[in-house]
This record gives sequence, structure tokens and C-alpha cells, in this order.
Amino acid sequence: MYVYRIMLFLVFGGYLLSPMLMSGWATPGMAWYRPFVIWGILIALSMWLEQKRKLDEH
Amino acid sequence: MSTSLAGVFTLGAGYLLLLFLCALAVERGWVPTRLVRHPAVYSLALGVYASAWAVYGSVELATEVGYGYLAYYLGVAGAFLLVPVLLVPIQRMTRTYQLASLADLFAFRFRSRWVGTLITLVTLLSVMPLLALQVQTMGDAVHLLTGAVSPALLALGFCVLIGLLAILFGARHTHLQARHDTLLAVIALESLVKLAVMLALGGVALYGVFDGPTDLQSWLNGPGLAAQSSTLRLDPGQWRTLLLLFFAAAFLMPHMFHMTFTETPSRRALLQASWSLPLYLLLMALPVPLIVWATQRLGVDASALGSAYLAFALSANPWVDALVFIAGLAAASGTMIIIAIALAGMVLNHLVLVARPPDNQPDLYRWLLWLRRALIVAVILGGWLFYRTVGIKHDLTTLGLTSFVGMAQCLPGMLAVLYWPGANRKGMLCGLAAGCAVWLLGLWLPLLTDQAPLVFIPPGLEALEDEPAWYAITLVALAANIIIFITVSLITRTSEGERAAAEACSVDAVIRPKRLPLAARTGEDFKPYLAEALGREVAEREVDNALAALGLSPHDGRPYALRRLRDRIQANLSGLMGPSVAQDIVDRFLPYQYDGLAPTDDIHFVESRLEAYRSRLTGLARELDGLRRYHRRTLTQLPIGLCAFGDDSELLMWNDALAQLSGIEGDSVIGARRDSLPAPWAELLGRIFDEPGSYLYKQAVTLESGLRYLTLHKATLAAEQGERGGTVILIEDHSEMKWLEDELVHSERLASIGRLAAGVAHEIGNPITGISSLAQNLRYDTDDPQLLETADQIQQLTERVSRIVGSLVSFAHGGRHVEQTRLTAVELYQVGEEALHLIRLARSGQDVVYSNLCPMGLRVQGDAQRLVQVLVNLIGNARDASQPGDEIVIEAKPQGSGVELSVSDAGHGIDASVRDHLFEPFSTTKPPGEGTGLGLPLVYSIIREHHGHIQIDSPPPGQQHGTRIAMWLPRPQEDGEDHDEPDSDR
Repeated sequence: MYVYRIMLFLVFGGYLLSPMLMSGWATPGMAWYRPFVIWGILIALSMWLEQKRKLDEH
Repeated sequence: MSTSLAGVFTLGAGYLLLLFLCALAVERGWVPTRLVRHPAVYSLALGVYASAWAVYGSVELATEVGYGYLAYYLGVAGAFLLVPVLLVPIQRMTRTYQLASLADLFAFRFRSRWVGTLITLVTLLSVMPLLALQVQTMGDAVHLLTGAVSPALLALGFCVLIGLLAILFGARHTHLQARHDTLLAVIALESLVKLAVMLALGGVALYGVFDGPTDLQSWLNGPGLAAQSSTLRLDPGQWRTLLLLFFAAAFLMPHMFHMTFTETPSRRALLQASWSLPLYLLLMALPVPLIVWATQRLGVDASALGSAYLAFALSANPWVDALVFIAGLAAASGTMIIIAIALAGMVLNHLVLVARPPDNQPDLYRWLLWLRRALIVAVILGGWLFYRTVGIKHDLTTLGLTSFVGMAQCLPGMLAVLYWPGANRKGMLCGLAAGCAVWLLGLWLPLLTDQAPLVFIPPGLEALEDEPAWYAITLVALAANIIIFITVSLITRTSEGERAAAEACSVDAVIRPKRLPLAARTGEDFKPYLAEALGREVAEREVDNALAALGLSPHDGRPYALRRLRDRIQANLSGLMGPSVAQDIVDRFLPYQYDGLAPTDDIHFVESRLEAYRSRLTGLARELDGLRRYHRRTLTQLPIGLCAFGDDSELLMWNDALAQLSGIEGDSVIGARRDSLPAPWAELLGRIFDEPGSYLYKQAVTLESGLRYLTLHKATLAAEQGERGGTVILIEDHSEMKWLEDELVHSERLASIGRLAAGVAHEIGNPITGISSLAQNLRYDTDDPQLLETADQIQQLTERVSRIVGSLVSFAHGGRHVEQTRLTAVELYQVGEEALHLIRLARSGQDVVYSNLCPMGLRVQGDAQRLVQVLVNLIGNARDASQPGDEIVIEAKPQGSGVELSVSDAGHGIDASVRDHLFEPFSTTKPPGEGTGLGLPLVYSIIREHHGHIQIDSPPPGQQHGTRIAMWLPRPQEDGEDHDEPDSDR
């Protein structure tokens, strides 16, 4: 259960801070794929937590 | 774009036929089950969220607000990243209580059919714009491809086909909770098609219009800046609100709820979706801005084409258009199928069955199935009708947001279901009604009337007046909803049933059902009771299904088992007819009986739930659970039998030692009444209950293992702080102690006889000595050969009598000097002869042949009398096992530094099951009363005192039967130093 708190923190933190990210994405000159890279990192983290959970349960 | 109508219809119908073929392949088993049930298929099926909005609406939104379109994907991705803490608890509830929809869940939690009805109505109203959006994209796509002025009829044709597929995939079984492998596979295929087409379109944009990512980046930093300048920027509030709406949609929209919870193949699959669905959505979202930027570079006039349909302008190649159409059709059809299936179930359970209960319906299953099918068609046609009359006048974003804002009104209720047990139905109904009123007036009704939205801006929030209507209404509606919900819940009373349901649903609570008796006495009794509501056939089937699921016997009369059976039947009926109707039926026809006492918690059930929840506990709760488990283990593994009863005489605990003693497993009796326990326990435990004292000493009880003597101790638990007490009973097996006591009495009696025999021997000895002396004198007094012979015979006979008496006295004294024995060299042949001599004195075994084959002169270091005792025991046992005419042989031979002495017989042998316990006290193979079970332990003890060892072969190697007991004894340390002959008189 403890590992899920990381995800809770990230999701709600991300929710509150996402407007700042949004304004950053819209800045001219920023790489167009940047939002997707951040999203991808979050998915990788979630995948890692899922693997960790499986190990914990075993 | 001048494809014919027939061509488009053929394309669309061909795609739908592909779905049908996929369903057929799964149904017939042409696709391996392992593949169909793979978690990846479930993750893809969750892609049903990406409706026509994802293919067209996102492009429209991206054109207007740039990256703001991502809210549609990120909201849902956020919800799925929280699968373990948000979605798994909901899934657990829906699975446990067979809840197939949001309305089922709310009706179950708030214990009100009106809650279910209201949620169904809100869902129905919310979903209509979303359904209209799906149909509209089909109509618009047909219009763009064919130029047809009125594509509605073709859209209707697709709707009919989709309706048929929905019936085929989702309404073939009577039970809404039945898993549909076919449905999952088909929706997964649709998701794959959508994804493949979107990625292909992204590829066309990136490499067909641009020259790759670098060129795209150059264009965005250069000429593209002008095109981007017209894009609006969502302010932080709007962005967060959009995220919240789509976050809520992940588990509130009927198609998402159905796919996420009702169709879940396993918890593992749901947990895997925590990253696989966000990954899928990432891939779906990636091509959207590429399409927008590509069409901007191509100079496509978005206002003329409709910004939602820019993908059609990506290429002049008709195959690209066909791909776009197929992607839209795949997205729309998947969403419509699942919405129709889910909504049909909700309408059936919470509108139709509430208005017309199915009391004693002749063929209930068939009746429900056809109702569901009709409702599926009605929902899809309702969507088409809404599109024709209302949707056609509005853009996709307006329709979609109206739908999502409406469903978001259920969010406070859902969070309360999970995290606030104090919420009650009055608060939920008032809050939901207020929020929905704001939404209806502000967004939904203006769709119909084309009037400006009616937005109530409360004082202090005037800043919202200049904001978009959807944003202001979302905030006002949710704020009103939440404030009224909390306020009313706090000031009104929560019913007992609602409180129990809240505990069942709450993430941090464990359901604590009460221990109440039922009117029915066995599972079989449920059938006539239920038949009054469901008809005989359906009642029998439901009861049998529930019994089979729980693994119970129809004749199990344990109150605990009957309560579980009632719960299971309620859950199964809930899956069939919704929780409101199911609860109504079990409450009316399977009522509890109140005995006047306040009911207490069903401790056994609570414990079993705690065991299941263990992995979810953290912090203090986990520590406390650890303590609970420790105490529980202490009681269950106590080496003394223990059972505990509640005040109502229901058995709450039956520990391992008692299970072993009684031969009755705890699971088969826990929850039973004391008086219904198997014999002799009901009577025995009744005795201690009726006993005024706290114990019963050595009660004779016949168990499977034979006659046992049990001592029972009783402790009464006093009721404290509203909790009812109970009785704890300790059961000690005192059988061995009783046998030992009996044996001691017997031994004492034998010892008395021995003392008497020694006295008698002494008394006999004197006259015998006199007789011997007289015979000796007689030899000196006469020369008569006849008299001399007589005197010799008298002397021989008196010597024989003296030897017999001496042996008796010697044997009687033999067991006393156990310690400090002085070991000497002992002639084994003499020991054997002495033992045989004693054995022959007994009357039994006269017809058995005894042979002493010990070689003369073979000696061991030992105590002659105790070795005689060993042989007497062994030969006695051999004699008892032998048949008339059998031979018992005593042999001895040198072996290493010692001598092997053995006793062999040809008797029936020793059973393998007792062979390992022969040297334990009281282990005997003889019938009760014939053997004490002390002989061989004594033999073992004596041989060990002689530093030897003993071995039993039964049968001996190479023989079919018989027994050979071999003892190894050491030779005299200095053979020849002490050559005392074994003295029979000692």
C-alpha cells in the first residue's frame, strides 16, 4: 500500500501543477513531443510500481 | 470525396461484419482462450473510452485550444494510475455484491431504490448527448465522403447494425454479471483498429505532409507560429476542470464502469491497466496535433470542412479517407455497444423492475433477457433520435462536455461511497438533485431549446459570468452538489441498514454482519420461500447455484452457512435484477428472526474478511491485525482442545487440537448451534453448559478412536460495553492418564500377589528343605534299592520345587533394582533355559515348541535376572502370536564386539502402523485387557541399560510372516575374569 502513496502524490501534485506545465508546452521553441515524453515517464513509473507490487505480493 | 452512399455503406457494413466474424471466432473457440483472456485484451477493451470524440472531437478541441485537448486523455490516465487505491476497491465491491452498474452500486450503498432510479435517470440524460455525438460523427463522415445532404438514414442503418451486434455480444446471457469473452475481444479489436488508423494518420501527417520530426519542429518554430497564434489557451481553472471531468468519466460513464468493473477478467488485469491504458491513450493522442498541424501547413480551411473532420483533408488518397471513416466507425460503434448494454441493464433494474416487480413471473430468465434486448435497441435508437432532433445543431465539444458534466454530478456520491461512511441517502439525493438541476438548466435543456444557458452564479463568484458556460456550470453544479450533500448528511439521521452498507463499501472498513437466525432451517428450505417470489424453477436454480458456489450441502443447517447462503442469493439476484429488487425479495421472503436479544457481530465472518484484506492494511491497522493473528494462532494451535460459543449457542471457534481429537474439521461445524453438533459433542458440551460448576472430570466418551476420557473446563465471558458474552470450553484428553491410573492399580495388585507369592515360597521352602533332608537321611538308613531310588526321586523333585520357588522369588525381585546394577559375564544359554523354564510354567502356550539354540559358552556383559526378564517378555509375546505347533527359537551368535541374541517366531507378525510405536508405553497389538503395553518398553529400557540396542523385523527378511527381535549386547570386557555362572537363585 505504501508505494501507491507515491502515485497519489504524483497524480494530485500533477493535477495542481499541470497548468504551469501547460503554459510551458505552449511556449514557442519547445519540442512538440515534450508533453508526451513527460506522460511516458509517468507511465514507466506506474509500470515499475506495478512490478514492485507483484514482487511485494509474492 | 465523391464516394457513393452504397460504397460507404458497404465499407461500414463490411467492418461490422469483421466484428461479427471476430465474435464468431472467439465463440467457436478458434482463438485460444489464453489469448482471449490475456490482460492485454482487457486493456485494449478499456480503449472503448476513446469514442468518436478521440478521433474527431479531439482534433476539434486541439484546433481550438492546442494542447488543451490532452485533458480528455490525461484525466482518464490519472484515474487509471490510481487503480490500486481508487478502482480496485470499486471492483471488489461490484464483484462481491454482483453490482453491474453505477446505479446498482449507489442503490446498494445508500439502501434506496430511489437512489438507483435517480442515478439511472441522470445517466440516461447525460449519455444521450454522447450517443448523439457518436451518431453525428457517422452522419457527418458519410456526408463528407458522399456529399449526401441527409446522411441520417444511413446513420440509422449503422445504428440498427450496431444494435444487433450489441444484442449478440452482450445480451445472450440472462445474467448481466456473466463475463463476455466475445464482447471483450470485439471491443479490443475495435480499439486496435482505432489505434492503428490513428497512428497511420499520424504517420501520413509527419512523413507525408512534413518531412519528419525535424521538419515539423522547424515549421512550428517558423511559419507555424502564425497558425498557432489563433489557438486559445485554456486558463488554469478551465484546464483543471476539464481534467476533473474526464477523471470522473473514467469510472462514472456507463460504458467505462461496465468495461472496468463488470467485464474485469481478474484483478491482475485491472492492475495492469494502470499503465497499459494510459499507454494506449498516449498513442491515441499522439497523432492528433500532427493532424492539426499538417492540415494547417496544407492550408485547409477548417471552418469550411469542420475542424473535427480535418483528417479527411490530410491526403487526396481515397484510402486515407476510408481509414478515417473506419476509425470513426470503430470508435463510435464500440462506445455505442457498451453504452447500450450498460444502460439497458440500469434501466431494467432501476426503472422497469422497480415499476413492475417480477413477482412469480412464469419464465423469469427469458422475460428479463428479452426486456434487456428491447432496451438495448431502444437506447441506440434513442441516441439516433437525439442526434436527429438535437445533436445535429451542435458541435462535438458542446455535446461531449454536456454529457461529461452531467455524469460528473455523481462524483461526490462515488467518493462518499469509498471514503465517507457518514454520508447518507438524503444528503446524496439532495446534493445530486441540486447539481443536476444546475446542469439541466445550464447545459442540457439549452441543447433542446437553443436558448442561452441559464447559469446561476452565486454571490461571490461573479468572476465566472465571463467564463464559458460549461466551465461556470460545472463549478456551480459541483459546488452546490457537494455543499448540500455534506450539509444534509450531517444534519439528518442515517439508517442502520445504510450504515451497514456504508461499512461494506468503505475502503477502510470491514463489513461486520450481525449474527441473526433465519426462518429457514436448511439450504433446501430456501427454495419454497423463494418460490413465492421467483417461481419454483427459478428459485431452485438460484438456491442450487448459490449452494454450489459456496460449496455447501443443501442440508447444512448451520446458521452461519444459512446467512452466507442468503447473502450469496441476494448478490446473485442483484446481478440479475439489481440490488434494490434483490434486497426487497430476500427481505420479504428470507427474513431474519429476531429473538429479542441484540444481535452481535458475526466474528467468524469478520475474521475471514480480515484475512482476505490483510494485504490492504497499513500502519496501526496492520500492527493490530498482526496481534490479532498471533492471538488467533495461539488459540487455534493450543495443544488442548478449545471451542467457543456465543450467547446464542452458536459455535464460534473449534481449534486444531479439538479437530484432531474429535475427527471433525472446524470449517464443517463453525457457525452451527451447539445442539446440532454431531454426536457425542452436542450432548457432552450440553452437559458442561448445564453443569453449575466450571468443570467435568473424566467424562467417558466413545469417539472414532475408541473410548476416551475427557475433562472439560468452562469459562463464561461476561458481556461488556454492549458486546454480548459467550462461553469458552477447554477439553483435555485424560485417557492415557486414566489408563495409567488403572495400570498402576493393576500393578499394585500384582505386586501384592508377588509379595504374597514370596511369602508363600518362603513358607514352602522350609518344609521342602525338611523333606529333602529326610530323603537324604532315608538314603543313609536303608540299602533297599527300591527305597534308595524313591529317596533320589524325592530329592530330585524337591530340588525342582526349590528351583521353581527360587525362580519365582528371583523374578519378583528382578524389577526392583533398576539402578546401580553390577554387570557380570552371563552365559546366554543359561539365561535362555531360565526364561523357557519360567515360560513353561504358564498354562497357555503348552502346545508351542520352544528351542534354545544359543551355543554353550557364549557370554555377554549383563545382569542375568534382567536378561531373563527380557527373554520372558519377548518369548511371551512370541507365544501369544504363535499358532499351536509353531516353533519359537532363541539364538545367539557373535557379532563384532558383541553378541546378537534373537527371538524368532512364525506368528502373524506386527502391523506396520504400530511397529514404530512398540517401544512407547501403552502401545500394544493385543486385544484390550490382554496386554498392558509395558512389556516392550521395559525390554527396551533394560537393553539400553546394558549398552545394547534392539531391532524388530516383522516379517524377517526373506519370510512371509513371523517376527524376529534381535538384540545386540556387548561381550564381557575382560572375558575370563568373571566367569560366574548365571545363578538362578539370585
